Amino acid sequence: MTDDIQYWIKVAQYTGASVSMGLGAIGAAIGEGHTAATANMAISRNPERGGEIFKNMLVGQAVAESAAIFSLVIAMVLLFSGEPLMKPITIWAFLGAGLCMGFGAIGSGIGAGYPGASACEGMARQPEAGRRLTTAMLIGSAVSQTTSIYALVIALILIFFDFSNMPFAPTWAALLGAGLSTGIAAFGPAIGEGLVAAACCEGIARNPSSATEVTNIMLLGQAVTETTGIYGLLVSFILLFKSFVPTDALAPAFALLSAGICMGLGAIGPGIGEGFTAKSTVSWIARNSSSRAELVRTMLVGQAVSESTGIYSFVIALILIFVI
Amino acid sequence: MDELGKIHQLIVPLFGHNMTFNIGAIFMSWIVMIGLLIFGFLAARKRGIIPRPLQIVGELLVSQLFGIAEDALDEELSKKYAPMICALFMFLVLSNWIGIIPHMHEPTKDLNTPLSLGLMGFVIAHYAGIRAKGFKAYISGYFEPMFFMMPLNVIGELAKVVSISFRLFGNIMGGSIIIMVVSYLTYSLALPPLLNLFFGLFVGTIQAFVFTMLTVVYISVQVK
Amino acid sequence: MAIEGADIVKAAAFLGAGISMGLGAIGPGVGEGMAAAKACEAIGKNPREAGLLTRTMLVGQAVTESTGIYSLVISLLLLFVV
Repeated sequence: MTDDIQYWIKVAQYTGASVSMGLGAIGAAIGEGHTAATANMAISRNPERGGEIFKNMLVGQAVAESAAIFSLVIAMVLLFSGEPLMKPITIWAFLGAGLCMGFGAIGSGIGAGYPGASACEGMARQPEAGRRLTTAMLIGSAVSQTTSIYALVIALILIFFDFSNMPFAPTWAALLGAGLSTGIAAFGPAIGEGLVAAACCEGIARNPSSATEVTNIMLLGQAVTETTGIYGLLVSFILLFKSFVPTDALAPAFALLSAGICMGLGAIGPGIGEGFTAKSTVSWIARNSSSRAELVRTMLVGQAVSESTGIYSFVIALILIFVI
Repeated sequence: MDELGKIHQLIVPLFGHNMTFNIGAIFMSWIVMIGLLIFGFLAARKRGIIPRPLQIVGELLVSQLFGIAEDALDEELSKKYAPMICALFMFLVLSNWIGIIPHMHEPTKDLNTPLSLGLMGFVIAHYAGIRAKGFKAYISGYFEPMFFMMPLNVIGELAKVVSISFRLFGNIMGGSIIIMVVSYLTYSLALPPLLNLFFGLFVGTIQAFVFTMLTVVYISVQVK
Repeated sequence: MAIEGADIVKAAAFLGAGISMGLGAIGPGVGEGMAAAKACEAIGKNPREAGLLTRTMLVGQAVTESTGIYSLVISLLLLFVV
């Protein structure tokens, strides 16, 4: 029987590694392709600035690439971290880590591609704003990477933390749920934050004198967009470190798994929606900075209302963890 | 981390039923009310042409909130409902902020507080609707645009109460749980205060404003 | 480890509650965000009507949210009644 479990751990390692790398490659590829396509359009519009735009494209793609690199790291670690005599709980920890990093990298890859693309376009349109555009692009895409960094952290905890002294029966579901929660929840906020950063680059190209103001509003909008991703991370932490009563029944275990899925899926929509809101606010503040106060107020109110379904998911997840 | 999600309850047997009181919520909302009374007393005492700082804060709050009410409702109705709206906003803001003081809990962290405030807004909005339009027009409003839409309209009205109260409750409770979990995980001095700043002051203010705005909007929808 | 029928039913109800709320949150989140985005755009074009536009946005979002509320109600039913 012990041999059997070692085989299954190997299966989990390889499945987790392939899921992590396979899913993680999707987002970065889409984002980088978008950046490259827009950079081509921009060079054709303004060929004298070709060299600068090309450099900016490479920097933007490097940031978008980092999500896929995180996936690669997790896949490598999963492939080579098997030790003899591991407990059965490790199967679920490895699977959870792979799913977490795989899903978590999609959004950041796509999201970090948007600001790169719109910075290239802006350079063709407004060559004087070049350096400011690169700075804004780097700030914006770094923020949109944060959710994939959360996924990386959770995946590393799942791989390296020793869960073997916890009761197997509900903990397996908690580990899988922890991976799914942060992983799926990373998708929405990352795309939303990418949209905001793209609007910021576009706004700076349109009106370079407003760069500081627009960057500040971008950071505010992204901070609010991030909150559902933070809820996903929080549910993961609770699932990882809460001590559970050992039980053979299926229902408590499924409640924990379901809490992870619920928070993960529930964070997608609000993340994207809040990103739309902040995007349009940022781009209109660049055009019409005199009505900034009204715009920021409407943005915050609109985002707070858009977030409510994410909050409902969070409430249901907490009920599933603590009440059931 | 096992103390997460626990609340202090006082169970009083009364007429064969067990009455359950959430001590944190009740006690803290009394503290909030006392705080507001003291603020009102200090701000209104010794009013002058040259205002003192507290008077300025009070005047700013009242004029802004009266402005919101006048935007949404017409002249006569706004005079009637603006004091209620002011009180609602100030109560919610102080309730959401009080959690940043150690050993204090937000009364809005308990679902009962937002739910009762939401129900209050619901009753006031429908009362205002009946007063403004007359009972017949109010009832026939449910049969718009088609008579068989009635159940959907009723559910939609009830959903407003659920959404307005769960939004506030979830935000405040989520913030306080995040701060607890982070303090438990890091033992750091820097991160929890920053999160307190974001979730306590920033999110707390925004959610109080959204709750107040939605109550005003619900009243104005019923009246028109 | 004997798995009973009632246990499986409970497990399925819990899983269903999570999936219902999770999937149900996607649509309203995106839709309300779009409504708020257009409201911001409209205020950018015509700042004098900010009050009216914000009110319209809030009413529209409240209606958009109702499907999310239905998901919430179904989740709570699955958790506590079934």
